[in-house]
Amino acid sequence: MHDKRKRSSGELAFNAGLFIVSLILLWQAYAISGFEALSSPGALPMAVAFTMVISSGLILLDNFRTPNRDSTRFMLDILPPVVIVMMLMIAGYAVFLVPLGFLPTSMIFLSGSIIYLRSGGIGFALTVSLVSLTCIYIIFRLIFTVLMPPGIVPEAEILAAISRIFGGGS
Amino acid sequence: MEALGYFLTPWLDLKLLLLVAAGTCSGVYIGAIPGLSVTMAVSILIGFTFTWDVYPALCLMVGIFMGGVYGGSRTAILLNIPGAPSAIATALDGYPLAQKGLAGEAIGISTVMSFVGGLIGIAVLALAAPMVSDFALTFQPRDFMLLAILGILLVGSLSGESLIKGIFCGAMGLLIGTVGMDPLTAEERFTFGFTQLWGGISFIAVMIGMFGLSEALSQLHHIDKTAIKQEISRVVPSWASVRKYLPLSLQTSSIGVIIGALPGTGGDIAALMAYDHAKRITKNPEVPFGEGAKEGLVAPETANNSAVGGAFIPMLTLGIPGDAVTAIMIGALYIHGLNPGPMLMVDQPQMFWFITGALVLANIFMLIFGLTGIRIFTKIVEMPRTILIPLILLLSIVGAYAVNNSITDVYWMLGFGVLGYFMKIYGYQLGPVILGVILSRLLDENWRRAIISEQGSPAGMFRGILTSPLSLVLLSAVILIFVSNTPLWKRWRSRAKSDPATQEVTSMDDKG
Repeated sequence: MHDKRKRSSGELAFNAGLFIVSLILLWQAYAISGFEALSSPGALPMAVAFTMVISSGLILLDNFRTPNRDSTRFMLDILPPVVIVMMLMIAGYAVFLVPLGFLPTSMIFLSGSIIYLRSGGIGFALTVSLVSLTCIYIIFRLIFTVLMPPGIVPEAEILAAISRIFGGGS
Repeated sequence: MEALGYFLTPWLDLKLLLLVAAGTCSGVYIGAIPGLSVTMAVSILIGFTFTWDVYPALCLMVGIFMGGVYGGSRTAILLNIPGAPSAIATALDGYPLAQKGLAGEAIGISTVMSFVGGLIGIAVLALAAPMVSDFALTFQPRDFMLLAILGILLVGSLSGESLIKGIFCGAMGLLIGTVGMDPLTAEERFTFGFTQLWGGISFIAVMIGMFGLSEALSQLHHIDKTAIKQEISRVVPSWASVRKYLPLSLQTSSIGVIIGALPGTGGDIAALMAYDHAKRITKNPEVPFGEGAKEGLVAPETANNSAVGGAFIPMLTLGIPGDAVTAIMIGALYIHGLNPGPMLMVDQPQMFWFITGALVLANIFMLIFGLTGIRIFTKIVEMPRTILIPLILLLSIVGAYAVNNSITDVYWMLGFGVLGYFMKIYGYQLGPVILGVILSRLLDENWRRAIISEQGSPAGMFRGILTSPLSLVLLSAVILIFVSNTPLWKRWRSRAKSDPATQEVTSMDDKG
């Protein structure tokens, strides 16, 4: 997508942002131990932050001097609505993961995003989400023993009940 | 004898054997699905295997790594989309073969040759790594510092179209690696007063964000593309064709393992050099190169798989990654309490032989899975992105959360994922960021130890470098690689190539 000889929409602002962040980080690196000694805790952070400032400055300058703009439009080619919606969905998933729990949040996220991306097919999306989530749960929660937030689902009690059934009540 | 016992551990323990098999099988499919990469898979998987014992975790990751490198060639042959940079050369003749209806034959021969290349690479690893490791034990902190600089200079080969953007990304990675309490003085660095940052930023969150989330978001641009259906017939190649290409595969395997072992060059360069070698030594190919010559398929496939064994040499003995994938593998070893470097062979020799045994086993499973299950394979490769992308996003979140059971890591992952998305869109390569994160600790600690060991005198350190033959060799390598990455060198090279006098000498050399 990116053409080095042409400037894409929003590229200048992005590069300027990186340059400003680099400057702030250089200031923060200086605040660690200043120019105390080459073996001080701030020596490497200062060196790398300085490299970031110089390189991002050169990138910005080069980008600023590039006269030609390519045909990209920010809301169409760089950050299209589909990407924004999925970014919001994934952010929502992260926010509700702990209070609601892994199973309900994942089910809502998976079915919601499949319905959105396929523009419909609720039955299909729900079936695919349920099957995928069951597989993920078995592989990661039961085999990989990954601990996920239970939230509103009494997961430990359910698992204990299942193991009681299969363990013959022992 | 003891080494053989460690080597055979993954072979004799059924659970470990099955994990290598499962890892390799998943790796082949992950590498072959457009939009998924071995880098993404290994980085997400680290989060899930975090709580495991080290042996099962290594079995799964070695399998995924080995299978993934091979799997990348599948999409190169079938769809002309290399699944990994190391499969770029494979597409040159592999795709024309598929267009002629010979996809099955192309996959078969590339699988067998990948197996041959992989075995040769691992054999060299088993022979060379103990020697390199013994030698590296004599290294001083200044030598490790120079090695880390050498590793960082790899940004030159990972930078893509813009070296300056690669330098920025490498520096950014180094800076991310320094966040938190300083390991030597416990002083706070870039913590902004937040206690959550004392332990630093989880590099797994950075990796999953940069390679999992950002890649999935980028794939949303192509959500409407329909999957291409492929008809694949016979896959197992005839013995006659294997025998015919065996001599070439032995030559290109040697190229692969040497190139793979050099810092800064990985499977992609090995494959391209092997392709070039095949083109030069094959006088009368049945089909011209670029139009479906099998030599053009055999050469890169053997080279990129033998480069895996080669890349493990600096990775395990010096702790220096060759590319983004090996950087992530080093991260995985760190997470499991292993410290790749010369001390690995001294403190935990069993680990080295275990990894070597798992690699050989994964190579065998790669051959088995590569030649079977082709019907299921075509179905999985055709999986629509509308289902695949939400699943990757979900696994990215779960993987980031699982490491420390911390929602903060999930937020870091999301932050780096969004940043990585924009960086990709605007032509920044993400490999150097991960390289920087991984090498940050090595560089920081050894830089300071090297100066402290000279009573805080930088002049003393430089004197030490100039008077030690080993340090001097490393310094020369650093200077050489740095100069070769500058535009000045590239301009000089292109001028030398276009110079008629030079061309004459080259052509005379060729004839001689």
